[in-house]
Amino acid sequence: MPQLDETPPTRRTRRGGRGRNVMSSTGLYFATAVAAFLFLVPFYLILRNALSTDAEITGENWQFFPTDLQWGNIGALFDDSSVPFARSLWNSTVVAVLHTVGVLLICSLAGYGLARIPYKHANKIFYVVLGTLMVPTAVTFVPSFVLVSSLGWVDTYRGLIIPGLFSGFTCFLFRQYFLGFPKELEEAARVDGLGYWGAYWRVVVPNSLNFFAAIATITFINGWNAFLWPLVIGQDPSAWTVQVALSSYTTGQTVVFHQIFMATAISILPLLFVFLFLQRWLVQGIAQTGIKG
Amino acid sequence: MSVTKTPDLARPAPAKASPARPRRGLRGSATLNFWLFTGPFLIGLAIFIYAPILWSVWLSFFDARFTVTPDKFIGFDNYTYMLTNDDFVGSLGTFTVFAAFIVPTTWAFSLGLALLVNRLRFMRAFFRSVFFLPTACSYVAASLIWKMSIFSGVRFGLMNTVLGWFGIENIAWLADPNPPWYWLVIVSARLWLQSGFYMILFLAALQNIPGELYEAAAIDGAKPGWQTFRHITLPQLRATSTAVVLLLLIAAYQAFDEFFNLLSKTTWGRPPLVELYYKALGESQDYGAGSAGAVILTVLICVVTLFQGRIMGFGRGDESK
Amino acid sequence: MSALSNSTWDRRNVLRAAMGLAAAGGLAACGGNNGRGGGASGVNLTQYFHAYGEQGTEQAIKRYAKAYDKANVTTQWITSSDFESKLFATLLTDKAPDLFEFHPQIQLVRSGQVADLTDLVAPVKSDFNPADITSHTVDGKIYGVRMIDDPQFFFYRKSLLEQAKVEVPTTLDELMEAAAKLTTGKVKGLYMGNDLHSVNDTLIWSAGAQHLDAKNEIAYHTDGVVEGLKKMRKLFTSGDLLLGAPTESWDPSSFTQGLCAIQFCGMWAMPAIQEALGDDWGVFPFPKTVDSGKQSVYNGGWSMFVNAKGKNVDAAKEYVKWLWIDQKKYQEDWATSYGFHIPPRASLAQSATKLKSGNAAEGVRLFNEFGHFDNIGWTQAMRTAFEDVFANSVRKDMDPEAALDKCDTVVNRELKKLFG
Repeated sequence: MPQLDETPPTRRTRRGGRGRNVMSSTGLYFATAVAAFLFLVPFYLILRNALSTDAEITGENWQFFPTDLQWGNIGALFDDSSVPFARSLWNSTVVAVLHTVGVLLICSLAGYGLARIPYKHANKIFYVVLGTLMVPTAVTFVPSFVLVSSLGWVDTYRGLIIPGLFSGFTCFLFRQYFLGFPKELEEAARVDGLGYWGAYWRVVVPNSLNFFAAIATITFINGWNAFLWPLVIGQDPSAWTVQVALSSYTTGQTVVFHQIFMATAISILPLLFVFLFLQRWLVQGIAQTGIKG
Repeated sequence: MSVTKTPDLARPAPAKASPARPRRGLRGSATLNFWLFTGPFLIGLAIFIYAPILWSVWLSFFDARFTVTPDKFIGFDNYTYMLTNDDFVGSLGTFTVFAAFIVPTTWAFSLGLALLVNRLRFMRAFFRSVFFLPTACSYVAASLIWKMSIFSGVRFGLMNTVLGWFGIENIAWLADPNPPWYWLVIVSARLWLQSGFYMILFLAALQNIPGELYEAAAIDGAKPGWQTFRHITLPQLRATSTAVVLLLLIAAYQAFDEFFNLLSKTTWGRPPLVELYYKALGESQDYGAGSAGAVILTVLICVVTLFQGRIMGFGRGDESK
Repeated sequence: MSALSNSTWDRRNVLRAAMGLAAAGGLAACGGNNGRGGGASGVNLTQYFHAYGEQGTEQAIKRYAKAYDKANVTTQWITSSDFESKLFATLLTDKAPDLFEFHPQIQLVRSGQVADLTDLVAPVKSDFNPADITSHTVDGKIYGVRMIDDPQFFFYRKSLLEQAKVEVPTTLDELMEAAAKLTTGKVKGLYMGNDLHSVNDTLIWSAGAQHLDAKNEIAYHTDGVVEGLKKMRKLFTSGDLLLGAPTESWDPSSFTQGLCAIQFCGMWAMPAIQEALGDDWGVFPFPKTVDSGKQSVYNGGWSMFVNAKGKNVDAAKEYVKWLWIDQKKYQEDWATSYGFHIPPRASLAQSATKLKSGNAAEGVRLFNEFGHFDNIGWTQAMRTAFEDVFANSVRKDMDPEAALDKCDTVVNRELKKLFG
């Protein structure tokens, strides 16, 4: 398993003179810093705008920082009764968590079945799964909506979550990963008398937690950030997710800048935490995927 | 549903399975097991993905306006209509240009970031996090920042403010298609959102390259820098590159959110999905023609993907494993 | 804020009262779970509104609904740019709203989507603005009840025009000149929205043309319109136009924030503009596109429709009658307490004191003198096709004739489907 925070192997190869090294590393840090600066600008804008008054944002002259940090903007956001922002945060949490658990469970099982259980039509079925990757989701969006609505799932967590659980792409990733999973471990489990099911839960899954964590993070992000589907399923504001709430600030007739950006900031915050904490597993998990071939 | 089995996940694996458990014949129950594992997924796939797809295909042969349960069969009329429709055919062109540009650009940009971060000795984790963070943002959020703050056409937009310091007039980035600044807006938003993720993929691959390869190259007289990169790093990244290109292509096919949010009410810069969305949902409620367009698009995507797979050898690795 | 929290408090009280009253307690509890307001009757109605920008509008609509005791009316307040797609997508399902606001468009009638409301309107037909009746009538039947009329025209800063020694323009050429003179550094002369679509219709009328003629054939493709499009292109590339503003033209922010000297907007924005600029503003109609044309004003607005395919058509009709025919107090509140709109009922328009003086009175005059109403035969698809003409020949540099030809193809396809 690669240890990503260790000294990279490439370093050992650089054998130029010391002066050259300092030069090139100054240039290196300079380039990286410039790129990092550009990447951080949008975050700066979110924070600046979220904590300013609208007059400061739209004023004649650019203000780098608000004269007074308008922490009251947070309260104003949650007090606004026309958009149930707190509720939408809660909905997004429920949806993203259940979505993640469901996708991991269903797609990993399917991926394992396709990768490791011999069945004469397995390849054909794999192509059936792969085929879904090529059909853009928005294409089937209307029939999907009519179908889900005829099940009576509009405005429900079921409607928000269940149709999104069957991700061909995630299944594909799991299959690729399990193809590279060491066969010996499973053989040993089978010698001990475990069937596929037992071997899967007792040997395969516990040895794949990094990969599961990586997929979980990606799935969670997608669940949290999904927009089009929650937009139509969440008819009643009480069923809005945070992205829908966010878009409702931007598309309303009036634009209240500080409110929009405060809402954006708060909508991003949970994911930033997830990221900072899970980043290591995510990186390691990705290193193990079939993606690397 | 198999959901009830989740607790197993938390239970520590016993050192040995209980011998009392009857040993299942592995080959005999394989088919059953296969369906046990894949069944829930496949059923869901059939209901929530394939049923709507088939419904769309069926609709494409009907005069389906303001209804999804039409009764007037019109054969291939919808297809001829869509294929002779300038806007739709034009959007296919747009999409091709867009994909041809964004895929290599994102590929190069994220590889560049990965190479930078990989060579850092101090603050690597910090810089990696900085580049990775935008992955957490949604397209909705990014479009909003880009439209309302960075590329706002008026004086309080960030870009116009910066240009103003150099005495340059305000530019209407999104409203005026001449020159087509809107591509700058779209591409920069996409790069910001996407590159961090692909950087991580490359980073992981870079660190899997055995150091000995570089040492051997150095002994053979290869200069560090371009030569080593060209002859060692790049070939070693081949598999990852292929995967990244495929992922980027899929992402480019699905381009919708930021185009929809940034370029409303235009006749330019529209990828096919946006075109179809307006056709089927927005103004004319023409589900028949919209579905026909969707089918055409899907067929096209399949062809491109298969073609790309042929060229880059994607998927061949699977079978040999 | 206190007003807002009060309203939730009220709602909870009402709910509790309803639960106490209702013999079938289960029903009310059920309604409570759905976030529906209380009410003794078991009929639940859902209505769709696009999100109005003015403060208090959503509360007002919900307040009216709560005062109705024959059904529980739930309001879906839908943010505007998603309104159409959301409305159209849900109309196909069994979650469709029972009543919704929209504009009169014939395809809704032809597909049997909207219910015939003739018997509701008939008794008070003479009290309605005749144009509001005509624009909702197909084959002698009336399909929607107009709630508000929204004239749209230009707003200008008096002081800025005086400074630049510019007269109020009456021709498109004068408008272009004015825009050039008024553009200084960070203030642009003119704003008509980032996409210019708000002035599509007025450009046609001011060129002496119309969208469709009495036989429902294309009437917008005239030399005057072509000339107008060319002028608009010149204006677009002149650098005197505000482009890329964060809000569209239906929002007065660009005008009130001082980003432009003249803006195309609607009467609804008057209270907000008055608050921001005091008396330093006036209004004028869209100028003559060509000399043979006539100044014009677009009389937009919103109407209530009943979903004919819904489960509670009769109850929905009753609610429409109660609120938009009988409850004149609410109708006046809706038209004048938030943004300014002109009540389509003559009796209300006469008594609406807020519209009697100053710029509001001038707005009413423009509405009466220069106003054009929606043509019910001009559908959303045609509307979009003509928007594409603007996108292609004004914002891009396609030849206006070619752009109009392209539009003709689409419009003729629609006309053929609708009228044979």
